[in-house]
Amino acid sequence: MEQPPSDRKIIHVDMDAFYASVEQLDNPELRGKPVAVGGGEKRGVVSAASYEARKYGVKSAMSGYLAKKKCPHLIFVKPRFDRYKELSQKIRKIFLEYTELVEPLSLDEAYLDVTNNKKGIPSASLIAKEIRQRIKEEIGLNASAGISINKFIAKVASDYNKPNGQKTVPPEEVESFLEALDIRKFYGVGKVTAEKMYQLGIFSGKELKLKSIEYLNEHFGKSGSYYYQVVRGVHNSEVKPHRIPKSVGTEHTFFENLSSEVFMLEKLEKIAHELERRLKKSKIAGKTVTLKIKYSDFAQQTRSRTLPYYIADKSMIFDTVKELLYQEKPQNSVRLLGISLSNLNTEKKTTLPEKPLSVQLQFDF
Amino acid sequence: MKFIVSSSYLLKQLQVLGGVINNSNTLPILDNFLFELDQNKLTVSASDLETTMSSVLEVESDATGSIAVPARLLLDTLKTFPEQPLTFVTEDNNTIEISSNHGKYALAYADGEEFPKAVELTDPSATTMLGDVLATAISKTIFATGNDDLRPVMSGVFFQFSPENIRFVSTDAHKLVKYERSDIKASEVAEFIMPKKPLNLLKGILGGSESDVNIEYNESNAKFTFDNFELVCRLIDGKYPNYEAVIPKENPNKLTIDRTQFLNSVKRVSIFSNKTTHQIRLKIAGAELNISAEDIDYSNKAEERLTCDYQGDDMQIGFNSRFLNEMLNNLASDEVQLEMSLPNRAGILTPIDGLDEGEHITMLVMPVMLNN
Repeated sequence: MEQPPSDRKIIHVDMDAFYASVEQLDNPELRGKPVAVGGGEKRGVVSAASYEARKYGVKSAMSGYLAKKKCPHLIFVKPRFDRYKELSQKIRKIFLEYTELVEPLSLDEAYLDVTNNKKGIPSASLIAKEIRQRIKEEIGLNASAGISINKFIAKVASDYNKPNGQKTVPPEEVESFLEALDIRKFYGVGKVTAEKMYQLGIFSGKELKLKSIEYLNEHFGKSGSYYYQVVRGVHNSEVKPHRIPKSVGTEHTFFENLSSEVFMLEKLEKIAHELERRLKKSKIAGKTVTLKIKYSDFAQQTRSRTLPYYIADKSMIFDTVKELLYQEKPQNSVRLLGISLSNLNTEKKTTLPEKPLSVQLQFDF
Repeated sequence: MKFIVSSSYLLKQLQVLGGVINNSNTLPILDNFLFELDQNKLTVSASDLETTMSSVLEVESDATGSIAVPARLLLDTLKTFPEQPLTFVTEDNNTIEISSNHGKYALAYADGEEFPKAVELTDPSATTMLGDVLATAISKTIFATGNDDLRPVMSGVFFQFSPENIRFVSTDAHKLVKYERSDIKASEVAEFIMPKKPLNLLKGILGGSESDVNIEYNESNAKFTFDNFELVCRLIDGKYPNYEAVIPKENPNKLTIDRTQFLNSVKRVSIFSNKTTHQIRLKIAGAELNISAEDIDYSNKAEERLTCDYQGDDMQIGFNSRFLNEMLNNLASDEVQLEMSLPNRAGILTPIDGLDEGEHITMLVMPVMLNN
């Protein structure tokens, strides 16, 4: 890293209700109306909701059924991922005019490191403003942005003046910003962790900061040190232009819950096939196979096995998954099955000293 | 049915027979001892279907009868008694009552007819040998048998009888033992594979025994008769591997060394070897044997030097230390010879002294390939 971490300028750009906005952009009839992308099918979930729909409490990841209940005149549209991808690439092109250090998180968000930007603009806030303006002019969509000294704060800040706004947290304000921040807004703190924090009397950054690193490690394990550092404005994660995937997975939710392993195997074979296709496409192989099972009561289970070698083909994945499935009886009927492969051969190999190989010889009977 | 027997005499016999009974039986009747009374002759049997062993006891009685008595219960009771006469009487309600000096104990019994009968051997061949000789042959070989379910023939000891000598061979494909007695001969050539369990029983009973053991055998069964005991067992079916073919003939490199010293060094050095391969390395040059081991995962290593008598080329060879340990432990000689040809061919370990007239022991061990 050329700059000390605290002198970096990071922008987090987040498109406002990206999928829904694209639909409204392409189809003027939908403008100003509550729109949900996905969720129209019997058991689908909403991938994105327009701001009009959000007013009614429709959120992404909500089941279509519940969304319809909250907002009876909600319009469901089918997702068109190719179109989103196309626009996402256009947006990325704009980013790349400012810096090569662009780390896409998904189709609709990205981190930009503009410490040394191509246009020589000293103010990151101005760059963010310009980028947002260009996205609006050239594509027709609204974006929000967060600007600060690291990825963590930038991400939190982009949510601050959403939609169609931006928030800068300059170095001198980092401390007070984090102290005042609601614990639920910390990136990496989900529902469960938030609950736990509340029980320990931690409601905002201020209380979190008072806890010792030992205390946090004791209560939150590995994440303890992360919280300890992040609340002090320390988050040295670089903006990585080429995000290396840590795992590749495929999952299916079924129309009808499955109760027999025979049917599950049939589905798993299909999933394994699809996974193989994806692995082949990106030329990836992995060692750890994980079977994910979501039961009809939404309880979730994962079972995994690490093999001594890399695999990428369907039959090997399927064989391992089969063993994992039969390892234990399903506790309930199953609504979702997924297979993922991790420990990928894309990860940097830690070079271990070559172990001398020894082979016990046998009599030649 | 009524008989009187000495408590410790009965216990002693039952404890031997108890070794046949499995801890968990699919057939509940096998949890019993079979008592067959013919006046003053009581025959007690135990079986696991594969192996049946019986013993004839002298008791005081003039009755006859056949009943199956729960083994565990009877053994547990007998263990607690000081030596005294015990009276066994069957009652009407299918119980057998034992009267001791202390009181009475009743056990439910089953009809003796329910107990599986031992196999009768049809036209068997026969050989006789001293009990202690058989016990020695078993203990010299049984440790080298395998446990691989896929190759059941190697889980037993191969008995090879001929008019010249008799041989006992065992191997697990990594190590092999050939125990030969040229002082004992059979009337004709015969070969069979004995399973481990009856051999362990025989080894336990016959150690140091001066009695003759009569061995009868046919295609599928073998019967061992000695003293008041009789053991009938099923043989392992299948063809034993051609072990002679794997014994290297040309072994130009010969190492002679004190067995105890060698064994102790192997034991110490192997503590530092890799916990899964147990690999140790022998380096021999001139009159020096260098034994070393290394566990790279934990940075442990050890090295010892021993003086030896060596004829041959300087060489390096790797072995699983557990195999060497077992083999050296199983020999009783002061000195041993290790003959080798190449680092990827079997080493032959033989005792130099301490053998009986006509006794020959050959042990083979396959090396571990070293790559460095």
